[in-house]
Order: sequence, then structure tokens, then C-alpha cells
Amino acid sequence: MPEYAQPDILVSTEWVAEHLTDPRVRIVESDEDRALYVQGHVPGAVEIDWQTDLQDPLQRDYIDRAAFERLCAERGIANDTTVVFYGDKSNWWACYAFWVFKLYGHADCRIMNGGRKRWGLDGRPWSTERVAHPCTTYAATEQDGSIRALRDEVLRHQKAGRQLLDVRSPEEYRGERMHMPDYPNEGAVRGGHVPGAVNVPWPMNCNDDGTFRSAKELEKLYIRELKMKRRSPTIAYCRIGERSSLTWFVLRYLLGFGNVKNYDGSWLEWGNAVRMPIVRGPEPHGTSAATRAASDACATPPVHA
Amino acid sequence: MPEESRDSAGVRVRLDRMVEEFADLDAREKLELLVDFANGLPALPAEYEARKAVEDRRVHECQTPVFLWPETIPAGGARLVADVAPEAPTVKGFVAVLAEAVAGRPVGEAATLPDDILERMGLVEVLGMMRTGGLRSIVARVRRGFAELARSQV
Repeated sequence: MPEYAQPDILVSTEWVAEHLTDPRVRIVESDEDRALYVQGHVPGAVEIDWQTDLQDPLQRDYIDRAAFERLCAERGIANDTTVVFYGDKSNWWACYAFWVFKLYGHADCRIMNGGRKRWGLDGRPWSTERVAHPCTTYAATEQDGSIRALRDEVLRHQKAGRQLLDVRSPEEYRGERMHMPDYPNEGAVRGGHVPGAVNVPWPMNCNDDGTFRSAKELEKLYIRELKMKRRSPTIAYCRIGERSSLTWFVLRYLLGFGNVKNYDGSWLEWGNAVRMPIVRGPEPHGTSAATRAASDACATPPVHA
Repeated sequence: MPEESRDSAGVRVRLDRMVEEFADLDAREKLELLVDFANGLPALPAEYEARKAVEDRRVHECQTPVFLWPETIPAGGARLVADVAPEAPTVKGFVAVLAEAVAGRPVGEAATLPDDILERMGLVEVLGMMRTGGLRSIVARVRRGFAELARSQV
């Protein structure tokens, strides 16, 4: 019976309930909707918002090392703190914040399995109190490039035919137009996917209650059905890197992939960047403009890769 | 929430009043106020549930499921009927602000909802650019809906 690669990386709501006042633990909430935290949060949990706390205000990037250190100090997070992330939407943004903490080398990060949904289903108490923990000092590492893919690396990876996962919905992956054609497709001027990327929509990782699927189910999906290789370099992307953080988390910590990166630029970068290769349709290698033109010019249809 | 028959102030004045409510609040208090507005949005009348599936009422640019029915009440004034997923209190609160601004007003006036509501309420800093993008599409959709109604009334 397969187990998660790092089973302790997930903690239950029961574990969190038992550690609410443990000074070695800091519970962090990250949500799609910030108002959820004020409506009610896990007692003692602090909020770290992906947009207002983790983004650099000037360049499109994460906050720099000094700002990350200040953020941790303000939230009462020390280098040896066990930080437990949770949130709405099956822990999308919790995984995103987890990934940023790993980017700066935080040693002990966990995810509360099932997030807000599971906390509610388990009948655990919500708090509306303002939370303040004593400030600490924090020393971050330089950014860990082994978990982050920038655009040019993705291009090389794609050209080499390596494992590439697009975790958006099938409609986004296929490059279908939005319902109102005068609005950009998901904020990008072009729709479609990176050639060779396989579509594995992120909900396939999760149960309805927001928890992650079992090791057995995840192995069946990624290893047996998609025939992915644990040791091969793998990159995941979505629209702005939030859903792909969740898939990154699953591959690295639950399935034990040794070399997996999040391409945080994702479609909002690729679909807007000049001359980046794009294909549309349901297949990984799709139908590019070049092959369409070639098939128009030739009597016989071309062979697709 | 003032009843349509009692509040004779126009859309702009009502928005000014609501902007005032947000002034001087810190980020958390602004979010709490949005939650209060959200709690005041009337539940979707039963007859609209079935209409969700067949009518094109969804604001597609918004990541959250939001369904809007800009319409006229029998007396001729505007009404914004809306359905917003409960797990999105920010969005629901903002829709409630818009609904309150237009309730009972002439549809032509409802079509003049301004672009700077989020800025004036100090919500852009609290929510960030990506979230406010979705909210802006809601304003645009509501404006369009009432503008169409105003044209058909002529």
C-alpha cells in the first residue's frame, strides 16, 4: 500500500487543534478571498496574503529576501518555527505560500490537509480575534532556484521534450475563446498551451472536502496512467502559478518527484510573450499555425509529432 | 440597507456615503465592512435559480461564480439581483454595494456607475490588482446591463 513520500508534510485539523498554543508552531492562512480570514480563522492563525504580502510592489516577482525576513519577523516566525499553511479552495494559496517559504529556505513547512473546508467540516472553532505574536528575527537564504522555473528554462525544457504539466481547466488548455470575445483569454493575448504540455487539471489532486487524494490514487494518475517518471525533470504551470504550486506540492512531497519546478510566470507570461511557441486543441502537441499552414499547402496531411 | 421607497438620494450620493463608511478603516476593518455588506445582500429568489442554467448571466472575467440580473422593478426603477458564491465574501460584499447604490433609481442613472469605486474605498491596496480586476468587470457588466435597459425603455 503506497504511502506519501513525505507523510508528515500534511497535518490533520486535529493536529492543528492540539497545537494552537504551541510556541514552536505558527499557523498561516492564505486565501483567494481575504475577507474569509476576518469572517473567521483558525484561532491564533496569522494571514499571509499572496497578493499584498508576497508580491514585489515594483517588478513582477516575489518579495526580495529582506522583505521576506521582515514579513516572517512581523508574523512571529523564526527560522525553527513549524509553519502550517491552510486556506480556501483546497489549499491553492496555502500551497503557493508554502512554495514561497521553500523558495527562501524555510525548513519546516506543513499543509493542514483540507484547509478551511475540512476545519469547518470537522466542527472546529473559528476565531475573529485580532492576532499578534511577538516579533522574531529571521534569516532567509537566497532564492532556491531548484524549485522555480523562469521562462527561458521552460523554453529549453519544452524543446527537449521533457515532462511539462499544464494544470489549468481543459478549456484554458485547449485555447478556447472566452465567452465574450472582446476580453483577453485569461489575461493573455493568445490562448492555448506550451507544446508538449500534458493537461492535468489541478482538481484531480483533491477530494471534494479539500484534502489531497490518497497516495494510491495519485500514483495511479501520474505514474501509471500518465507514465510520468519520478526522476525526470518536471515543470508545472497554470495561469499565474497558484494552481501549479498545488501540483508542485503533490509531485514533490506526496509522490516524491526529485526534480520538479513551478513556472510561476505561467500563462500570463507565456501567452503574452513575443514568439513563444503555442499550440491549441486537446492534444499536447496540438495544431500549431505552422502545421495548419503546411497542411493547407500540401496534398497529404502532415504527420504530427 | 435603505429601502428603495425611502432613499431618494441618487447613485452618486449613495456611493459617496458608502465610501465614507470605508474611510479611516484599516485593511482588516475594510474587509469586515465588506463582509457586513455581503451579509445584507438578499438571497437569490427561488425563480432565478433555474434561470442561472439557461441565461447568460455569469460574469466570465471574474474567477468567482457571479450571476447578475440588472432589471427594472414594476415602478420602473432599477434593481440588481445577484447570486455570488458564499465562499467569496469580498465579491459578494462589493456586489451588495452596487445593488444598494442602484436600488430604485432610474435605469439611466444606474448605468452611470463610475469606474473609481474601488479606489475611493481604498480597496485596491487591500485586495491587490488581480482581485480588483475581477471586481471591475462586475461594474462594467452592471453598467452595460442597465444601459441596455435604458435604451429599451426609450
